[in-house]
Amino acid sequence: MDANKAEQLKAELQQWFNQAELLIRRIPPNQLYAAVGIVLLTVFLFVLVRVFKRTISNTVVLTGLSGSGKTILFYQLRDGSSHQGTVTSMEPNESIFVLHSETSKKGKIKPVHVVDVPGHSRLRSKLDEFLPQAAGVVFVVDALEFLPNSRAASEYLYDILTKASVVKKKIPLLILCNKVDKVTAHTKEFIRKQLEKEIDKLRASRTALSAADITNEFTLGVPGETFAFSQCRNKVTVAEASGLTGDISQLEQFIREHVKP
Amino acid sequence: MLEQLLIFTRGGLILWTCKELGNALRGSPIDTLIRSCLLEERSGAASFNYDAPGTAYTLKWTFHNELGLVFVAVYQRILHLLYVDDLLAMVKREFSDIYDPKKTVYSDFDDIFRQLRKEAEARAEEIRKAKQEDKPVSNNMGNDSGDGDDNAKGRKLEAHSKGSFVANRNAPAKGIANGKENGSSNNGAFDVNKLQKLRAKGGKKTDTIVNKVPKVETKKKITKKNRIWDDSPKESKLDFTDPVSENGDENIQIVAADQGESMMDKEEIISSESESEEDEEAEKGTKAETKKKGWFSSMFQSIAGKANLEKTDLEPALRALKDRLMTKNVAEEIAEKLCESVAASLEGKKLGSFTRISSTVQAAMEEALVRILTPRRSIDILRDVHASKEQRKPYVVVFVGVNGVGKSTNLAKVAYWLQQHDVNVMMAACDTFRSGAVEQLRTHARRLQIPIFEKGYEKDPAIVAKEAIQEATRNGLDVVLVDTAGRMQDNEPLMRALSKLIHVNSPDLVLFVGEALVGNDAVDQLSKFNQKLGELSPSASPRLIDGILLTKFDTIDDKVGAALSMVYISGAPVMFVGCGQSYTDLKKLNVNHAASSELSPDLTSLFVEVNHFNSVNFVSFAHNGILVYQIAERHPVTCKWRK
Repeated sequence: MDANKAEQLKAELQQWFNQAELLIRRIPPNQLYAAVGIVLLTVFLFVLVRVFKRTISNTVVLTGLSGSGKTILFYQLRDGSSHQGTVTSMEPNESIFVLHSETSKKGKIKPVHVVDVPGHSRLRSKLDEFLPQAAGVVFVVDALEFLPNSRAASEYLYDILTKASVVKKKIPLLILCNKVDKVTAHTKEFIRKQLEKEIDKLRASRTALSAADITNEFTLGVPGETFAFSQCRNKVTVAEASGLTGDISQLEQFIREHVKP
Repeated sequence: MLEQLLIFTRGGLILWTCKELGNALRGSPIDTLIRSCLLEERSGAASFNYDAPGTAYTLKWTFHNELGLVFVAVYQRILHLLYVDDLLAMVKREFSDIYDPKKTVYSDFDDIFRQLRKEAEARAEEIRKAKQEDKPVSNNMGNDSGDGDDNAKGRKLEAHSKGSFVANRNAPAKGIANGKENGSSNNGAFDVNKLQKLRAKGGKKTDTIVNKVPKVETKKKITKKNRIWDDSPKESKLDFTDPVSENGDENIQIVAADQGESMMDKEEIISSESESEEDEEAEKGTKAETKKKGWFSSMFQSIAGKANLEKTDLEPALRALKDRLMTKNVAEEIAEKLCESVAASLEGKKLGSFTRISSTVQAAMEEALVRILTPRRSIDILRDVHASKEQRKPYVVVFVGVNGVGKSTNLAKVAYWLQQHDVNVMMAACDTFRSGAVEQLRTHARRLQIPIFEKGYEKDPAIVAKEAIQEATRNGLDVVLVDTAGRMQDNEPLMRALSKLIHVNSPDLVLFVGEALVGNDAVDQLSKFNQKLGELSPSASPRLIDGILLTKFDTIDDKVGAALSMVYISGAPVMFVGCGQSYTDLKKLNVNHAASSELSPDLTSLFVEVNHFNSVNFVSFAHNGILVYQIAERHPVTCKWRK
C-alpha cells in the first residue's frame, strides 16, 4: 500500500514539474532575466539598508551611580522640568523624543532615543542591554558628594571603559558633573583629575586579577604611564550640568554632536 | 494619621504625593525602602520599618505590575493604622483608571484621594467597633468574621496577604490579619521548632562519630594502603608533620609552599546551557497542573496571551519553582520569601503572546536570583588592601563562623592568594580555645613563610588581636588575617566576646565563613550572628558581617542553594569560595552560573551541566538517558564539556 502511494506521489510530482518547465519555457527570456534581476536587486538593497541602519544609531545612554541625578536629567531632556522629584529607579527609563529645548525650533528634527539606566549596583546588568546600540554614553557624576563615592564611581567608569562594546565601537563618553548649582560642588577639572588617579590605581589592581576577570576584556591606557582620559580609544570629554535648575546645555550639545539631526 | 502617600513609577519618577499631608518626611525612607527591600527581593514582605533620628516610620506598599507603578504609604510606627492596606488597594484601583503614561501631573487625584481616605477610615472604625463587641469570642471566630466582613466588602486578595506585620498582640484588632499570617512562621521570635531541630541534629552527629570509632580500631593490625581515587600520581609522602619539638621553637628551614597559581586567578571555561532544554523540563514539571485546564485552552492562552496574571495562575509554577529551589539546598523560608517576592512583581502583569506562565515565572526568578547574588558593593579586596597601604595601616580581616566550617584552612588559602599578589600578610592566632589551633596556624605560616602572631592559649582574643595589629603596623605589613574560635550562634557569652573583639579592633572586613553543606541552619546562623553583633556591641553603629566565604564547595554537586540563602539573609556578598583542601582551592563566585544552576532541573533530566565550583567532576548524560560518568582532572582550564 505504501509503496503504491509513494509511486503515485512521485508520478504526480513529475507531472507538476513538467508543467512548470513548460510554463517557464513559454516566458520570453528577457522577461525572465528582468524578473530575476529585480528580485536580486531588492534583496541587495534590503541587506544594504540593514547594514547601514546598524551604524546610524540614535541612542544615548545615561548611566552613573545611584543618586547622581540621571532620572532628573532624563526628564529635563524630555519635558524641560523635573516634575515632582524622583526616587531610586528600579527599571530603566527609555523613550524616543525630540529634545525639549528644540521643540520650538522649526524644521524636521530627528528624535533621540534616550535611555536612563538605574545606577544601583544590583541592577548593573541592565546596562549591557543598551550599550551595544548606543551612539553615546553619558556618565553622570554627583559633583556635590563626589569624594565619598569617588571609588565606586571610578570602578563603575573603569568597567564601562573596558567593556568590549565600548572599546571596539569607540563609543564617545561624556563625564557629566551634575549638581553644579550647589555652592560646594567640585569643579569638573578636579573631578577629572580624581577619576584619572583612581582609575590609574584600579588598573594596577585589576590587571592583577585580569586572568580571572571575564568581564574586563580590555586594559586601559598605556602601561607605564599614569592614566589620562586622552589615552582611551574612545573619546572622553567632561562637562557640567545641573539637573534641578535645568542647566543642561552642555549635555544637549553632546547629544546633538553624536546623534546627527 | 498617615504621614505621606506616594505614587511613583518603577523608573523613579514621582507621579503624585498627597499635598494635604504636607509633612516632609525625615530622612529618606522611600529610597531606603527601595534599596533595602524592593531591590533585595523582599517585596513579598508585608511592611518595612524605617528608623531615622527622631522618627520611626512604617512603610507599606503595593505594586501595579502591568503599568509599572508603585504605591507607598508612610505612617508613624506607634500608630497601628488598620486602614492602610485597604486604602492602598483602593488608591491603586482608582489611579490605574486615570493613569496615562504621557501625563506626569495628576492634580485631579487629590479629591479622589480625600474621599478614599475618608471611606477607608470610616470602614476601619466600623471594624474596630465590631471587634470590640466580639471581644469575648475566641480568636478563630474573630478571624472568620474578619474574613467574612472582608469578602462582603469585596476587598482584593492582596489586601489580605499584606496584613500588617507590625506585631500587635491585641487579637481583636488584628482580626483582619488572615489565617495565613497567623499560621506562618514568626520571623525573629524564638521558634521552639528550630530548637528541637537543632537538638536532633546534634544527636545525629554524635551517633555517626560513635559508629566510626570501633571500625578503625579493628583494622589496626593490617597496615593501610593509600586508596587511589583517580588517575593522579601516587603521593609518596603522606606524613606532613614537621620534625620539630612540641612548642615549635626550632627554626627549620622549609622551602615555601608554592603550589602554582591559586584558582582565584584562573579563568573558568563558560558553558552554554540551552534555554530550550530548561524550558522542556519546566514544562514537564508543571504539566500535571496544566492538564486540569485542558490542552486546548492552555495552548490558546499561550498563543494569544492572557489578560492578566492572577495569583492563582502563578501559584502552580511558583510552587514547582520553590520545590526546585529547595532540592538545591536553599533554606525553606528563603525559598518561600523569594517566591512571594516574584509573585508580587508578576501579579497583574499581562502575559505576552507565545509565552507560557512557567517561562515568565522562570525568567522573573532568574532575574531576581542574579539581582540578589550581584554584590551590592565592590568585592575587590586587592583594591581595598592598596587603599589601606596608602594610609599606612594594615588591612584587617576577621574570620568568624560556627565550629568546623573551615576558618583556619581558608584563612591559609586567602593568605596564599594574597601572597601571590605581592601583599605582605600576617596571621594572628586569636583562636585561644581549641587545642591545636595555634599549632595549625603555625604550620600554615611556616609553609607559606609568613609571620604569625600568637600568644598561646587561654588569652583574651581581643587583646591578642589588638597586639597583632600593632605589631603589623610597626613592621609595615599590609594585611592581618585574624583567626577566631568557632562558636555557635546561640552561645551568648561567646558572641559577646566576638562582638568585643570586633568593636575593640574595628577590622576592615568581617568575613563570615559558612559551609556550603549547611541547609536551613544557614539562615539561623547568619541572622543570629548579625543580630548579636548588632546588639552586644557597645558602640552606636556596630559592625556587621561584610562578606561571606563559602567553604566545602567541592562536596556539593550543584546544590548551590546555601550561597543564595546566606546572601539573601545577610545582604553580604560572597567574596570567596573554598573548593578543596589545598592552597590553590579558592575561587570567586560566578553569579550568572550560580543563578542558572539554581533553576536548572535535577540530575535525572536530559542536559549537560558543568559544575563550575567543583573542578573535579562533571557528569554527562547521553540523549537516550544512558548515564555516562566522567571524572576529569583537577584542571579547570582543560575542563571542557560537550553535549
